[in-house]
Amino acid sequence: MKAIATWIVVIAMIFTTANGAPAKGDDFNSVVRMIEQFYRVKHLGIPFLAKAGMKVATTAARIKGGQARQLAEAGSIKLAVFEDQSFNGDFIKFRSSLNEALNATWMPLIQTISAPNEEQVYIFLKDAGEKFNVLVITIEQRDATVVQVTLSPKNLALLLKDPEGTGKSITQEATINDQE
Amino acid sequence: MKLTIRTALIAVVLILVPGLSAKAQDSRIQMTGLDHLAAKASQTVDVNLDERLMRLAARVFSDKDEDEREVKQLIANLKGIYVKSFEFDADGQYTPADIEIIRTQLRGPGWTRLVNVTSKKEGILEVYLLFSGETVGGLAVLHTDDRELTIVNIVGPVNLDKLAKLEGQLGIPDLGIQPKNKTKNDDEK
Repeated sequence: MKAIATWIVVIAMIFTTANGAPAKGDDFNSVVRMIEQFYRVKHLGIPFLAKAGMKVATTAARIKGGQARQLAEAGSIKLAVFEDQSFNGDFIKFRSSLNEALNATWMPLIQTISAPNEEQVYIFLKDAGEKFNVLVITIEQRDATVVQVTLSPKNLALLLKDPEGTGKSITQEATINDQE
Repeated sequence: MKLTIRTALIAVVLILVPGLSAKAQDSRIQMTGLDHLAAKASQTVDVNLDERLMRLAARVFSDKDEDEREVKQLIANLKGIYVKSFEFDADGQYTPADIEIIRTQLRGPGWTRLVNVTSKKEGILEVYLLFSGETVGGLAVLHTDDRELTIVNIVGPVNLDKLAKLEGQLGIPDLGIQPKNKTKNDDEK
């Protein structure tokens, strides 16, 4: 009986570690889910992205030699892409839900909304010891991307000096086409 | 009994609220009252550099690069930089009541309007400073024209001579602030 109780405790501990702990604080996935729920869309899975010739995960940090400046620390990129779906919805409501969800752990740096082409760009920052995490969310009429990267202090300085330009570069860098 | 406790609570709140308001009287301008304009605007920009981000910026800007060093010195004691900007495709998309949300705060104690320029081409530019004794504790810039509304709020001690250095950096738009010693002749040279 005691052995059974011990096993129950062990199994419970495994489940808590495997399911509960990692999910906590994983804001990247929360943001992806939030976009999916709010706009009733689905992000592309990794096999689909690979088929489409998109760079994902660690390979996304490799930039063609000398042509573009590498901003993200190697292997640090998390990417979710939404393609050819409708992003119709109240962007003010979405912005406020997003800010509410990330406010405790992330610092909002810049948020731009362009009504004619229904483009929304959100850049959030988080201190990660000696480096910094940056979350760039771009939502357009038919497409969206969520990119999380780790930046060195030097590249964070670039982002702070030119948030809009560097934010766009981070997204471009993460979604650069392998076949180009 | 319940009524007595409730009355006492209300009394405590009434006593505390004016105190809290006075304490909150700093140079931070509340701009959330303008958020509804985003639905009408063709372009909305929100920059939020709070104290945590200011400290972070001070950490990452290099002492070796002259420009970064100057910006680093300038932001060293700042508590925040906030920008809210709306661009519209047509005239009359915001009302005087919208601007009043900001101006009411700038009529508060300590704030002084330093600059008020009205131009047909450029619209109205107002610069306000919050004085705390002889030191400047904050700055607010309000720029309005037919199709644009921009508010820049710098919280903390501002070095006015070097303020122009912040233009175009950290998401701050170009406000046309000239360094003190720059004259019209300098531009013509």
